[in-house]
Amino acid sequence: MATLEELQARIQRLDDIKQIERLQRIYGYYRDYEEWEKVVDLFSDNAESIEVADHGVYKGKEGIRRFYIDLIKGGKDAKPRPGFMSIAMQIQGVVTVDPDGKTAKGRWYGFLVEARPTLTLHEGELRQLWAHGIYENEYVKENGNWMFQKLHFFLNFRTPYEDGWLKTPVVGHNGPSLEVPPDAPPTTWRPYPFGYHFPVHFKHPITGK
Amino acid sequence: MNLEELEKQVTLQEDIQEIEHLQKLYGYYFDNGMYQEVIDLFSENTESVEITDHGVFRGKEGLIKMYGGMIGMPRPGWMFFEVMQSQGVIEVAPDGKTATGRWYTPSFECRPFGGTKKQTWQFGVYDNEYIKENGKWYFKKLHWNLTYWTSFERGFLKVPRLSDTPFPHADAPATAYHPYPSGYHVPYPFKHPVTGE
Repeated sequence: MATLEELQARIQRLDDIKQIERLQRIYGYYRDYEEWEKVVDLFSDNAESIEVADHGVYKGKEGIRRFYIDLIKGGKDAKPRPGFMSIAMQIQGVVTVDPDGKTAKGRWYGFLVEARPTLTLHEGELRQLWAHGIYENEYVKENGNWMFQKLHFFLNFRTPYEDGWLKTPVVGHNGPSLEVPPDAPPTTWRPYPFGYHFPVHFKHPITGK
Repeated sequence: MNLEELEKQVTLQEDIQEIEHLQKLYGYYFDNGMYQEVIDLFSENTESVEITDHGVFRGKEGLIKMYGGMIGMPRPGWMFFEVMQSQGVIEVAPDGKTATGRWYTPSFECRPFGGTKKQTWQFGVYDNEYIKENGKWYFKKLHWNLTYWTSFERGFLKVPRLSDTPFPHADAPATAYHPYPSGYHVPYPFKHPVTGE
């Protein structure tokens, strides 16, 4: 029979996984409503970096703020464009809490339906798009709360609704921004049909490899 | 930690799991046209059910009016609904007796439309409430907000919604019906996980 302390550690682990799943899903709900300040607040003050598709790597909390507010939002006073829609469903989460219970990793699928311009991030006519990609994220527990430590989204495809990924794998990606430049170039810009396998953070549950 | 605190923590984990299952079972029953089973997932003290612009149906009586009419209705083989219950965020109240849940529902459908068969996509957001009675979780309130309802061929930008569908026998008109491109934000039942605001 396990001791009270052992049981406590086990239930804590389940609670940690639930809290992290909740964090990732709430991230999705906030980003879909373009509430970028709330998204930034989901990151630790000691956050390492964010990298999304071909935008490059933005480092530290300041980099995360530049990415979401200056680049994605288009400036702190920018207003959402009428008709703009981006829904990124957060699906199939596998969360692995490290043995010390202070850090964790998570892999998720992101399945997107969007109405957005593709000329640039903010200009051009609205088009309806499908997109799909994979998150490999890192989380940290500070003051009893789980937060993002690192977010990395690998884009698989972003295609016009009418075309599909075979005909048109990617639209709306023009490389790292010149106005809000990243701290480092993209590390995994290999969308369909590269056949790139975005590495998994977890060990095989049976063989342990 | 003593045994009492441990029990509280275990109960919280079980509650979240059970509520997630309740919501997912609702989806499977609904998609299979098992409306009596759907009705039985709701508390005797149900507050209301509101789906898209159908209107508000109040109490268990309203619920039976809403789903009950569909029991036993013949459904041809080509007609289907697949409403995937996704991205659930469950908040159990500190007293452990009530809870809230937010969910996304991407869905595929084929249903009659103006005398023809139509393949459609839908997307929506649930803002639900649950209640624990006699050790079991039930729906207390269900509210599904339509984001878009479009034809497979044309898509949500060209056709955000195929038609309006108010039910004449509802107890009250819809309280929120703001499909794309309204920009409407379905309120969050949860607080910010880091700032607590």
